[in-house]
Amino acid sequence: MQHLLAQASSNSSSAASPPASASPVRLRPSPSSRRDQQHREREAPAAAMADEHQELARAFSGLGGLGVDEAAVVSAVGRWRRQPEKRAQFRRSFPGFFTASGGGGGVMERCEDEYVRQLEAEFARFKDAAVLWAMHPWERDARWAHHVLHKAHPPAVLVEVACTRAADDLLGARRAYHALYHRSLEEDVAYCVRDANAALLVGLVSAYRYEGTRVSEELAKEEAKALAAAVKSASASGAKLVQNDLVVRVLATRSKPQLRATFRIYKELNGKTLEEDFAGEPCLQEAVKCLDSPARYFGELINGAFKDGADKQAKAALTRVVVSRSEADMEEIKDAYAKQFGAKLTDAVAKNAHGHYKDALLAMIGK
Amino acid sequence: MATITVPQVVPSSAEDAAALMKAFQGWGTDEKAVIAILAHRNSFQRKEIMLEYEEMYNESLIQRLQSELSGDFERAMYHWILDPMERQAVMANAATKCIQEEYKIIVEIACVNSPAELVAIKKAYHVIYKCSLEEDVAARTRGNLRSLLLALVSTYRYDGDDVDMGLAKSEAKIVHEAVRNGTTDHEELIRVVGTRSKAQLKATFSCFRDEHGTSITKALPHGTDRTGYLHALRTALRCIVDGNKYFAKVLRTATRNSGTDEDTLTRVIVVHAEKDMKDISAAFQKRASCTLQEAIAKETSGDYKSFLMALLGS
Repeated sequence: MQHLLAQASSNSSSAASPPASASPVRLRPSPSSRRDQQHREREAPAAAMADEHQELARAFSGLGGLGVDEAAVVSAVGRWRRQPEKRAQFRRSFPGFFTASGGGGGVMERCEDEYVRQLEAEFARFKDAAVLWAMHPWERDARWAHHVLHKAHPPAVLVEVACTRAADDLLGARRAYHALYHRSLEEDVAYCVRDANAALLVGLVSAYRYEGTRVSEELAKEEAKALAAAVKSASASGAKLVQNDLVVRVLATRSKPQLRATFRIYKELNGKTLEEDFAGEPCLQEAVKCLDSPARYFGELINGAFKDGADKQAKAALTRVVVSRSEADMEEIKDAYAKQFGAKLTDAVAKNAHGHYKDALLAMIGK
Repeated sequence: MATITVPQVVPSSAEDAAALMKAFQGWGTDEKAVIAILAHRNSFQRKEIMLEYEEMYNESLIQRLQSELSGDFERAMYHWILDPMERQAVMANAATKCIQEEYKIIVEIACVNSPAELVAIKKAYHVIYKCSLEEDVAARTRGNLRSLLLALVSTYRYDGDDVDMGLAKSEAKIVHEAVRNGTTDHEELIRVVGTRSKAQLKATFSCFRDEHGTSITKALPHGTDRTGYLHALRTALRCIVDGNKYFAKVLRTATRNSGTDEDTLTRVIVVHAEKDMKDISAAFQKRASCTLQEAIAKETSGDYKSFLMALLGS
């Protein structure tokens, strides 16, 4: 029995598809000795149990994916009632989660601290999604902005909120920020952000853009040319474009339709997109992406949450994007996702999330 | 407090519209009748009259007024009849067209209005001009002046009374540093003036005064500044600290010099007549040898004078 458990443990820690040895061994009536039969009868439950451990580990989000499979956990709880040895075997079969700890007389498998933290995060995903979903969109945005500023996270979330919301919604978020924190959003951004991105970020969050469709082709051409000149001189002098007055002024004050015209003409004149020419300046690239093609930006964020090695912020982005865009441009995001990653968004979510969290996301994404 | 007076019993907008039409008819215009009606209606009533007039006579009241009246009186009446937020949007737009000379109008509008009023003005600007005030201001200025004006115009200040005294003290230091070192390194100063709430700024400036014995406006360098940045900054500080005192000074200057500045008189009186003209009048009287009405009566004449006097409540 021991060698099968050892096999199960080494197989499960690689988080790969279930190994062959875990597939149930068929019980064949054998003419051989009773001892062989008994051995085989003990083998089958052992292999099935390794399968069970796999399932439970997956339910606890130990094999990747976001959220926990609450139903599977409850089912295991029920099945293993009054069988502490089963739970002990589960603990032993996952050295990634539990380590043997000698102490006193017996051996105990204790939880790794990292495992506990990870579990807390995964169990909380559904809760976070539900709480955010119920909140007013303006309060959500204000809270995200505040969190990013005060925990010194990368400013991408600020750029996202500032550039993808409609003008009146950004204003509403700023009003919510007043009510929640007794400061204005721009004063906190100006005070907390002290690096090269400060001027751009303050400009973006302070914007109250014209929302109509009027576009001046002449102005777009003039500004596309000016931007090209700025890009050229920056690459010659090594200066940062994010601190360039013209770049900040155009990105922070022009209306979105006007900017899209400018970006289009830029590409026509220079062969490369402005986003490409902003390489090396992530804040600027994010701003351009969010202003020009938010659906593509959101699709990339979602995909980032599914990647191996995605960090805490990348995973949190999944909840944020789905909750905040479900009533906005979710259809466009689905199209952009399918176009860029060749898979339906709903399929990707179903594959990479578990339990109530998965169901909530799918409900918000819609068919 | 406003200074305009509205009669106890207001005629219906139809009656007013008919009376206006009567005033336009025949030889010349009966300006007194026009003033008697329009100078004594609030913004809601004026809007009703405009709608009713257009409905009854199939022409725009504003355009008729512009053709019937002339000079300073016409300019004043044109601005008066507009909705208060549209009015300031129109004034802001005119200022952006010659922003190097008229930037102080932008500063006034940005600093004296409440945060909610500033948003309403910007929204009105979108509707009328199909672009944003921020883009027009930013595109036509550069350097420190642009940074300051854009910050003042874009900000949506916290409107409450919460003040952090520790922060006020530390920012008073920052302001002092910036002011002491000329005008090259004013990012922090613009940050403070352009984003903090008015209550917080007042606290910061009073810490500055306590610490350095002089008010912030007096501490600003007085050198010649061709870009206008220093003047704009001084204007912003004055407007934030005490708007009434600022406008009282503006009116004194407009009425004192030889050759009255009618455009400034119009701007201040028309905008504030239904807002806080009483307080500005009181501030005017404190530092002048006569009341505001006496000064206006002395320096203006004709229908323009009658109109201003009506707005001032005489």
